[in-house]
Amino acid sequence: MNPAAIQADLAQLVETLSAVGTPLQALLPLLAAVLVALAVVPAWRGWLGTAVSASAALLVVGQLVLIWFHWRLYEIAVVVSPETGGVVGRIAIPLWVESVKLYVWALLLAVMAVLIRRHRQELLPGVAILLAALMAAAALWNEPFTEPLPIFFGQYLGYLSAMASGDPGVMFGAYQGMESARQFYYNTIYMWVHPPALFFSYAAFAISFVATIEMIRARHSAFETTAYRWARLGYLPLTAGMLLGFPWAIIAWPGESWWWSAKVNMSIMMWLAYTALLHARLYLRRPSMWRWVAGISVAAFVVLLLTYFSTYFVPGAHTV
Amino acid sequence: MTALARLKNWDYLLTVATVALLGSLGVQSFLGTAYVWWATYSVPGFQAIGYRDFIWWMNAIAAPQVVALVVLMGLCVPKRLLDRGTLIAVSAVMLVAGLAAWVATGSLATGLAVYLALAGLIQAAVVAITVAGARGPSYLTEGRLVKIGSGLLHLGFIAFAFVVVALQRSTFMLPAFWAATALTLVGTLLTFYASRFAWRGRVRVPIDRGLAEE
Repeated sequence: MNPAAIQADLAQLVETLSAVGTPLQALLPLLAAVLVALAVVPAWRGWLGTAVSASAALLVVGQLVLIWFHWRLYEIAVVVSPETGGVVGRIAIPLWVESVKLYVWALLLAVMAVLIRRHRQELLPGVAILLAALMAAAALWNEPFTEPLPIFFGQYLGYLSAMASGDPGVMFGAYQGMESARQFYYNTIYMWVHPPALFFSYAAFAISFVATIEMIRARHSAFETTAYRWARLGYLPLTAGMLLGFPWAIIAWPGESWWWSAKVNMSIMMWLAYTALLHARLYLRRPSMWRWVAGISVAAFVVLLLTYFSTYFVPGAHTV
Repeated sequence: MTALARLKNWDYLLTVATVALLGSLGVQSFLGTAYVWWATYSVPGFQAIGYRDFIWWMNAIAAPQVVALVVLMGLCVPKRLLDRGTLIAVSAVMLVAGLAAWVATGSLATGLAVYLALAGLIQAAVVAITVAGARGPSYLTEGRLVKIGSGLLHLGFIAFAFVVVALQRSTFMLPAFWAATALTLVGTLLTFYASRFAWRGRVRVPIDRGLAEE
């Protein structure tokens, strides 16, 4: 292992990503502003579908760049045992951690927005505003192309420095931390299934939320059906993703009280809210029940947002 | 009130109670998270010392709600097979069996496990009878595939609760977990998308419903 060579390769890779991605990152908030303008001004809405498709295309192009970046990282970032000097494994960083989380959420919502068929005209303005918020936040806050994966790079560069130090104690400590992150976080199969399932559900719930708002505004049952269809599309991956988090937590956090950590706590609350929504909906024909269904649906989406942002603000096992 | 109306009202009450309990646990989760947020920045040494107390309190407050939810699930499961009188008797027997196991072993987890095992057996019977197409199980949903899906997903949740309560340190944890997950997901798929799996023209599952007239 040559830590200096790896470090140089990583620096070169980040520089290339920044060069390719900076224009894309700059375009995202601009396109977000266009989406908001088209959604807000009724006379311009004829262009909204095109703008949403263009946003989806831009996000897909960016995603291809990020896939290439992560693939190159996989080739470069190896973990070497200080005992044997042999390569223990490579680090496969998923496309939904740290600086790319909001980006992948925006990408999924954009693709779903393109695919909306039922009530497209009515839903597209609301969905476009949510998409614009996600795109702007992804570009300006997460900066996936210019400030990629800060936590990973912090740990991995620290590991490389430790390996270069020649001090066995320092090397072994850094190796343990890095190998543990590789095995139980980056490379575990759960990491490759649990978060994308949740992000897929978040995107579907966003459209369900917009349809619920339309139902409240227009008081028409057809929007409730649309809201329900998107909610049930989101509920399946939400349930799958949360279930898959359980054995992972037991393996990765043995002996820890992880179930009351902020993100788990809020995620359970979100699942409970959507479960309550689907139960309440069984009685939609009862007088005034639609108000309860609408209320629970709006509350569930607010909880979804709190769940997502709790990882940034509330300390706990999922904190970034 | 007709028998059907009584049954629907009973179903409604159970659903309201379920939603209320889910909401209550949700509120606890929210308040717990807000408290951790506040305490981390306001109470010196909270993460090092206070967090253990927080976990203890959260467990203590959640425990009766989770038990009530499990009991409610126990009531919901045989409701598809039994009339209300028999249902209450069966539920009482299940509850007594769970309590007896708790008292005998001194472990709440064992009591819950016994209760869940009994609920799981009844739910498995409900699913088997529904699959066989026999008359008897009553569902809110329409269409046989939807009913099978509903039965399977509830069986999956009972199995998952059993894994959490009884099998966390067992070698059977992962196989049982995957079985519970498969049941839940297949059940959810059937419940939501039965009409897509059914032969066109043979099974119709109503999806569109109008909002209630005020």
